[in-house]
Amino acid sequence: MNALKSLFKGVVQVAILIFISMAMNKIVDVLHLPIPGSILGIAVIFTLLKTRVIKLEWIEQGANWLLAELLLFFIPAAVGVMKYIPMLESDGVRILIVVIFSTFIVMASSGLTASRIAKRKENQS
Amino acid sequence: MITGLLCLLITIALYYVCKRVYKVKSSVYLSPLLVTPVILIIGLLLAHIPYETYNAGGKWLSSLLQPATIAFAIPLYKYYNVLKKHAALILVSVLSGSVVAIVSSLLLAQSMHLDNALVSSLVPRSVTTPIAMSVSQVIGGVPNITAVFVIITGLLGSIIGPMIVKMFRIDNEVARGVLLGTGAHGTGTSKAFELSSLSGTISSISMIVAALFTLGAAPLILSLFSR
Repeated sequence: MNALKSLFKGVVQVAILIFISMAMNKIVDVLHLPIPGSILGIAVIFTLLKTRVIKLEWIEQGANWLLAELLLFFIPAAVGVMKYIPMLESDGVRILIVVIFSTFIVMASSGLTASRIAKRKENQS
Repeated sequence: MITGLLCLLITIALYYVCKRVYKVKSSVYLSPLLVTPVILIIGLLLAHIPYETYNAGGKWLSSLLQPATIAFAIPLYKYYNVLKKHAALILVSVLSGSVVAIVSSLLLAQSMHLDNALVSSLVPRSVTTPIAMSVSQVIGGVPNITAVFVIITGLLGSIIGPMIVKMFRIDNEVARGVLLGTGAHGTGTSKAFELSSLSGTISSISMIVAALFTLGAAPLILSLFSR
């Protein structure tokens, strides 16, 4: 019985989050904001939690479900790469070189910057 | 429609099988985000099913991406104090990383003699899809192609990220979050949550900061480099 109740709670909370995300898209659309609905949604939920207008328990379980299966939601987009197989056949190797090297440099530079700053902080305190 | 629905069910089932396998043997090459689409693409090509038919079912999963992104507000709220403590560090590292992302994508793509539309489509590839697509639009890229580069970056980033962590011995949880969120948006963040919930949270905020910065600064940085 408890398991069923918790399942129901999770489903309702996911539905709430879906509803919020649709509402945010509408707001962005009507006000012509330069940011996507998802970023506005993060800001709005965060603010509502911080000002205690909504309680963490109301959405936490649903949010945890969605975050745990995040990769699943990327898969149809990843399958979409198949539409571009002709482009990848002609330019794919060069594109991959750009993506691999650039991602490597970005991650190494931001990661090393962050760990240097963190170390310096540790030494100071 | 029936095929679409079947594709949806197969995607979910296959994803859970891949996730199981990954739990037993967590090599980066067995990441569900890499293996699941590869198997699906091969299957669709062999069965001569066009992507549009697949996506009639698949789009239901994609539509959950946005509520899932909004759900990042919860770890941000829970770890607010940690974020505040590391605010300066996160800001400095993410902003420098974002500049490196834009400039290195541009210069590398130009040096590969890719045509201009592809170069511009590659520039915003390291940030989350909706932002990357609108930046691409502004700077003369093709938003749909940018979306493909974003997902390729995500796939490769979730392999390259852990390699960098090992190679440079980055043992700081905050730094791990920063590099994954800055370099590989949502998929990097998902990887970061595998490492620890602190890394995941830092990665979510890094992803957001990188997206907003790129939205504002990419056109300016590009104008510096335009000939």
